[in-house]
Amino acid sequence: MSFRTPFRTPFRKLLLTAGLAGMLAAGAGSLAQAADLIAIITPSHDNPFFKAEAEGASKRAKALGYETLVLVHNDDANKQSQLIDTAIARGAKAIILDNAGADATVAAVQKAKDAKIPSFLIDREINAAGVAVSQIVSNNYQGAQLGAQEFVKLMGEKGNYVELVGKESDTNAGIRSKGYHDVIDDYPDLKMVARQSANWSQTEAFSKMESILQANPNIKGVISGNDTMAMGAFAALKAAGRTDVIVVGFDGSNEVRDSILSGGIKATVLQPAYRQAEIAVEQADKYIKTGSTGQSEKQLMDCVLINADTAKKLETFALAD
Amino acid sequence: MRHPTFLITVVLAGLLALPGCKLVKNEELAKAKAEGGTQAGAGASAFDPDRMARDMWGPRIVPYLEAKAGPFTEVQALIARNPDEAGTRFGYREKPEGMPWTIASRFEGRIVAANTASRAATVDVDVDGDGTADAVVQIGPVIRGTALRDRLDFISFNAFTNQIDYAQFAKSLNTLMAETALAKLPREDLVGRKLSVIGVFPLDKPGGKPLVTPAVVTLGDKS
Repeated sequence: MSFRTPFRTPFRKLLLTAGLAGMLAAGAGSLAQAADLIAIITPSHDNPFFKAEAEGASKRAKALGYETLVLVHNDDANKQSQLIDTAIARGAKAIILDNAGADATVAAVQKAKDAKIPSFLIDREINAAGVAVSQIVSNNYQGAQLGAQEFVKLMGEKGNYVELVGKESDTNAGIRSKGYHDVIDDYPDLKMVARQSANWSQTEAFSKMESILQANPNIKGVISGNDTMAMGAFAALKAAGRTDVIVVGFDGSNEVRDSILSGGIKATVLQPAYRQAEIAVEQADKYIKTGSTGQSEKQLMDCVLINADTAKKLETFALAD
Repeated sequence: MRHPTFLITVVLAGLLALPGCKLVKNEELAKAKAEGGTQAGAGASAFDPDRMARDMWGPRIVPYLEAKAGPFTEVQALIARNPDEAGTRFGYREKPEGMPWTIASRFEGRIVAANTASRAATVDVDVDGDGTADAVVQIGPVIRGTALRDRLDFISFNAFTNQIDYAQFAKSLNTLMAETALAKLPREDLVGRKLSVIGVFPLDKPGGKPLVTPAVVTLGDKS
């Protein structure tokens, strides 16, 4: 807990701080000119997952009276480093970050920390503790086990299958694969005939799936580390007239929801990405105002299985009640 | 004007600092780390989840669960009335949003069905004596989920380098438990026999029968 803030902050911000005690909402609009900046940095919005994160974070930040700077690093650690420099130069009060690599990101987040700008990580972890203030990530292992159990059921516990893996520099690629195999490998009649990375990319998954299918026409299922790769794989299967192949994804995007509802992809696993981004902003806000989030650094949020029974309730990475 | 606003801020600051239990938890974490032989931020190569599980199981985890486990009927009644109160009394979760409580409970009942065809075998146990199942108990050799890990309030995700290490520790606990508590359990002719269990389950499907991961099981006779 730091007492620096009350001594240094001008009166108008003190009012905002005091507002926390009871009536927050009203004052925020009048502070627009002096609003603090929150930088929101994610991979490319081409993937709706990251777009939803950026939207969730941005809307929550604006509602809390902040200006936002929304940037994309396209999974390029060098570009991410430049964007962190931009956030520092612009005097951001906090950085919300879905990062570009568990190891490569540590230095960039440290750089922000050295500039006294706290970082709040979402979706992906980094391999260091005490550098970011929060690391809020989906419980990928729990989610992957849900997806794998559904996959095993759909496959009838037997048959040849393909695994599409995510980007290797991202811990989520490894943890989801581990979650899948910790379930699937218990069934000796399920045989993995190909395992390839498509780097989370829809177009890459399309071309990889085409060539895998040529080499292994006798496949019954595809389990994918995320939804965009599942979409790419399903498109390739459809083009080859193989809509009989069972495809399971991970993320819970609206695109895969629609595919499930129209009998295409069979299942996915919802990551609460929208809420996760909101929580990161709420913790950033609390940290800016009080010097503490009141939470431990690393936080997990459980995932939910989405299949034909539950797909209707899914909208923008959140489930309707 | 400065003075009163400052006061409010200080009071606020005090309030926000209140959850002092965090400090205790961190101490326990440090202790767990020391005992488990892992270090936050340490390279994956130094991490030995099997050893960490082995070192903690007998001396720490089993006595802990024995002490925390609530009588099944009482636990279920409280879950029906107020799940959060049941979670607070008999369970644990590392953070308040986005994950279920994991509950520790003890019961004795009769096996009314056995699903031993799957490697993730289970038995249905009738606890209240009405002839229908009240709990589903995992008997391995494959154990699903992470409930054993998740019930331990001295084990935190924060003590692990990443989700992969954290998952490996859960898997190691499951494997060790299956070897220690379940390996000698027969697979045949289980229906009708008595079973007493100290175990854990996630509170993730209200109204459903809990899927219990045991820590201690004792198989009795038919009678």
